[in-house]
Amino acid sequence: MLNRTNRLQILGLLMPGLTVFLMFTVYPIVRLFWMSLCDMSFSSMLSQPFAGLMNYREVFADRTFWTVFVNSIVYTLVTVPGQMVLGLFVAVLLNGIRHFSVTFRVINYLPVITSWVIASLVFRYIFNTEGLLNYFLWKVLHVTGGNIRWLDTRWSGLAVAMILGIWKGIGWNMVIFLAALQQVPQDLYEAADIDGCGSFGKFLHVTLPGIRGTILFALIELTIGGFNVFTSIKMITGGKPAHHTDTLLTWMYYKAFSTGRFGYAAALSFVMALTLGFMAVGQFRMMRLRDS
Amino acid sequence: MKNRNMSAVRNFIRYMLLAFGTIVFTLPMIYMISTSLRPNGALYEYPPRFFPRIEALTLENYDYILSQSKFYLNFLNSAAVSVITIVLAAAIGSAMAFVLGRFKSGASSLLFGFIIITMIIPGTTMIVPQFELATKLNLVNKLFGLIPFYVSWVIPFSTFMIKGFMENIPNEIMEASWIDGADVLTVYARIALPLASPAIASVSIFNFLTAWEEYPWANTVINDNSRRTLPIAIAGFFGQHQFTQWGYVFAMSVLTLIPVVLIFVFCQKFFVEGLAAGGVKG
Repeated sequence: MLNRTNRLQILGLLMPGLTVFLMFTVYPIVRLFWMSLCDMSFSSMLSQPFAGLMNYREVFADRTFWTVFVNSIVYTLVTVPGQMVLGLFVAVLLNGIRHFSVTFRVINYLPVITSWVIASLVFRYIFNTEGLLNYFLWKVLHVTGGNIRWLDTRWSGLAVAMILGIWKGIGWNMVIFLAALQQVPQDLYEAADIDGCGSFGKFLHVTLPGIRGTILFALIELTIGGFNVFTSIKMITGGKPAHHTDTLLTWMYYKAFSTGRFGYAAALSFVMALTLGFMAVGQFRMMRLRDS
Repeated sequence: MKNRNMSAVRNFIRYMLLAFGTIVFTLPMIYMISTSLRPNGALYEYPPRFFPRIEALTLENYDYILSQSKFYLNFLNSAAVSVITIVLAAAIGSAMAFVLGRFKSGASSLLFGFIIITMIIPGTTMIVPQFELATKLNLVNKLFGLIPFYVSWVIPFSTFMIKGFMENIPNEIMEASWIDGADVLTVYARIALPLASPAIASVSIFNFLTAWEEYPWANTVINDNSRRTLPIAIAGFFGQHQFTQWGYVFAMSVLTLIPVVLIFVFCQKFFVEGLAAGGVKG
């Protein structure tokens, strides 16, 4: 079956994809690692002396790095479970109704297809000091005594970005969890009924184990997404005040393109990629362990 | 009887929760549209209103955006880049998926594993070496210079999704054509491609969204106004003056969202099936 012509044709089909993959993904990864070991900046574009672990030492000694590292971790720890729990909750509700299911699904998916730039600007506008939310809290509900400067302090600025992240992610979780819920065998629920399980018991002992694969998939995808947060931070706080609301990527970007410290940025990127790799493996292990 | 009442109550609660959640959920979008429909005069209208006064409703923001040739240029730039990206990604990704899904060997699973592993690294992480690469290849500040990078970002996901579909094509269909003496290219073009077209369609919709809304990379490599894509143009509007003209920003945002929402509403089925396939299988 696989004669010479066919082998060549297989190679021909692989070639374009392989070329793009090697050139635009694999090469940059290798290059990133190399850059992280060199003293590379705007001023030394031509000479890039090998510098060993200098960049890594500088990253770990940098207080701002630890600030933005904590910010990224907090962002991920809040938005990932937030999206998953709310998305699963909506999916369970949708799974139980007969009418308007598609309508609800379409509307709840709209934030997902709204671009990050647009969604971030809308949230910035709402949370602005003279904006709608402050007016509502102060003049309508009378719960605050004045305008709160949401975007000007570390945790409230990050909170706005996190609320946006959760708002934008619920729809995605809803769709994949709804699909997973529909795959859980119905007879398991009937068996649980006979055993006298209540609805919460059924959810705990039948639904959750039944959608474990999807939970793992969402966990890994969303963790990557959490570390990838960039546009919303840039648009909502711009890292202000004094990089207190920056995340790993916005700080990396600042170091690379505003100060020209490419070596530092590369080392930071690599630390981040490694962190994510370990987390993904860890999450995988955790779910596998629970399997057995 | 008691049971029936219980389930009616439960159903009612479900609908109430969904309706409430959906309203809260759509508030930001409604506020964006309502802001785009009011006069652009004041920096911040005070007191702010969620709905504009009926007599103050105006299309002046839309008039302004649509009277600028810049907007059409940005729109065409985004459309051209997105369409070329999804066509290339569909062709390249389906060919890879076909080979990796139908001709299993140690080498092909190794390659596939390698492709999947790179998906762990968030795209923006590689922006520094990719910027250097773009400079070397003379792709900086070129509209079509965006395309190879976008294609390379969506290829792993596309290959992963289409491969699952290729694997599910029944063996008998494939074997019949091998016996008829068809070669690999013929089987790919005549049998695998048509059968995998739903997967390719759903992947292409996602790829379109990715390219249409991409911001960090385009913002880094494109300088010229005439080469900007829509997200860059919107973000630029926001930072341009000391006082952001929110009416213009949101009018342009609404115009940018219209094609996406139309595609989504009409292709809802592909969207949901594609996502479901990825999530349930994965």
